Amino acid sequence: MSVKSTLAEAAGRSSYWFLHTFFKGGSSLPGKITLKLDPNILQAFSKKYDLVIITGTNGKTLTTALSVRVLKEKYPQVLTNPTGSNMAQGIVTTFITAPRPKKKGLAVLEVDEANVVKVCKYITPVAFVMTNLFRDQMDRYGEIYTTYDKILAGVKLAPQATIIANGDEQIFNTKDLPNPVIYYGFNHNHVADSQAPANTDGLLCPKCQHILHYHLRTYANLGDYFCPHCGFKRPELTYAVTKLGQLTPTSSTFELDGQEYKIGIGGLYNIYNALAAYALGRFLGVDQAQIKRAFESDERVFGRQEVIKVDGKEVTLILVKNPVGLNQVLDMILTDPAPFSFGFLLNANYADGIDTSWIWDGNFEQLKDHQIPYFMTGGERYKDITTRLKMAGIEELTTKPDLSDVLEEIKRMPTEHVYLLATYTAVLQLRKQLAEKGYIKGGMD
Amino acid sequence: MAKYQLNLAHLYGNLLNTYGDEGNIIALRYYAKQMDTEITSQIVSIEEDFKADDFDLALFGGGQDYEQMVVSKDIPKKQAELAKFVNEGKPLLAICGGYQLLGQYYVAADGTKIPGAGILPHYTLTQSDHRTDQANKARFIGDITIKNEETGQEYHGFENHNGRTFLGEGERPLGIVQEGHGNNGEDQTEGAIYKQTYCSYFHGPILTRNGELAKRMLLAALKKKYPTADLSAQQALKIAPTF
Repeated sequence: MSVKSTLAEAAGRSSYWFLHTFFKGGSSLPGKITLKLDPNILQAFSKKYDLVIITGTNGKTLTTALSVRVLKEKYPQVLTNPTGSNMAQGIVTTFITAPRPKKKGLAVLEVDEANVVKVCKYITPVAFVMTNLFRDQMDRYGEIYTTYDKILAGVKLAPQATIIANGDEQIFNTKDLPNPVIYYGFNHNHVADSQAPANTDGLLCPKCQHILHYHLRTYANLGDYFCPHCGFKRPELTYAVTKLGQLTPTSSTFELDGQEYKIGIGGLYNIYNALAAYALGRFLGVDQAQIKRAFESDERVFGRQEVIKVDGKEVTLILVKNPVGLNQVLDMILTDPAPFSFGFLLNANYADGIDTSWIWDGNFEQLKDHQIPYFMTGGERYKDITTRLKMAGIEELTTKPDLSDVLEEIKRMPTEHVYLLATYTAVLQLRKQLAEKGYIKGGMD
Repeated sequence: MAKYQLNLAHLYGNLLNTYGDEGNIIALRYYAKQMDTEITSQIVSIEEDFKADDFDLALFGGGQDYEQMVVSKDIPKKQAELAKFVNEGKPLLAICGGYQLLGQYYVAADGTKIPGAGILPHYTLTQSDHRTDQANKARFIGDITIKNEETGQEYHGFENHNGRTFLGEGERPLGIVQEGHGNNGEDQTEGAIYKQTYCSYFHGPILTRNGELAKRMLLAALKKKYPTADLSAQQALKIAPTF
């Protein structure tokens, strides 16, 4: 490590100590300070760690959390970044605040798509895990093809690194890369020929631009795809979901390569995340029994959802940010056999996405057919979400534009189970109130 | 059973479905129901025939550049029937990419000039040749309010476009910009009206935020299909504000 890097690291560390001690925060500022003093600081860590980068639109956080848990079964020290600190500054903070490893450590980092190249410039990863690429908040991100090019800019700097990619996602099968590639996906079912619903993104064959067909479709455009026109099809999978068992909002049972696993979190999309973590674990030499133990340990995993007890109510608070994620969440909560209350809190600040149009791609119509005796809407854009639910045929709903009224309203809801879907800043606002009243501890992570 | 029935063509609805365009159909159904009207919607996509006589209403949405480029290659096959639909005065809503593709041509974000259906005289340029961060900053993004000159109605939406569209002869704007950028950021116009074709860059989606426009399109379609019917109850429908 150069003198400059050592000094920069020291400055970052002390600013972290200062912020952490006096302001109980500080996840990006120390990294910012360190980067300012030494833009090449990340290079200094490349000798200390083997790096795995986890990227993609949805599922980064949970895939990273599960991967770390799996890898800890074999590797004594696994460094990772806290939720949301997935840009260059947050990543630098992660490195400078970590205990110094005695021998070469393993770092498993969630990296924002556009930041992959920034990290790869300094540290050559041993593997990339790619979850999926969906249209995200369009006011902030470009089209998915542009996003993939951004990831590839980083991959090009690491031609030896193994790519562990979702084989059910077509875009990951469109470029010839020198890297070794391992695909994972779903193989629990097979039909002769089917197509995706019309309001799905990415229906075209990327090779010949005809409509794709499927032998199996899990959600959105993911699955065992094939093009009857040009023969483009899903690549061979190395690791696969071979059977689905019981699925509830709080647990999922499934088989990977013939062996049963259970995770304490619902949603088909989270099985993809578990599968990605499994593929990475297998790639790094963790055996199936160890992975099973890691998945089934009591420790909770928090992705974008958490369960909070509020005076006898079991409130599941779920972050939603784009149509694919939203539809997965709606599918998941409908696996609850008990009646429940449903709330949606919509804000439209920069971090939420300032365009609320995406709620119209959510399949709220299906809520009508379930036992949901109570609906609530709220947040700064309560009018938009209220109109959405009304036009989905939900006539009776309570509206709470001011989020400070939501907590009291929850206590009045008629069911024990409550699902609250909320955009990013609405989650933050609600968590702040829950923390003030002592229902939860601390901040976002 | 509803008294009236309208057939809606969702043009390229499986390819051009950017952020909530589907909501326009949901809104049309919602208001149609209040007008004793049922809507049957059908996607007409690439490699499928479009017959103007089969439909009473149409939606032509927007998509990513890639999908729009694929659609632009299919458009010549539907051009004649699409022109017939528009010129017969059947209501058509064209949003963003659909709006651009009805015109003479548009220049994609990467600088490629892509021919449109040439049914309406407008044309579309891009902010810059390449989609750099700079160009992204120049993109017209944000809430927008316009005022329709004919009815005095205000329409609310969200615009998010790189294209700069310039209207041609015979086209009126959908509205005059009160707040936001509009067609090109220069002439204060937003969208276009030609006969019963309504074009706009509005997301939101436009018809969920602006029920009056949905009502206007539905009435036009009903009058066209049922010329002798008494539509006074439909005409009298009150639209509650949603935004």
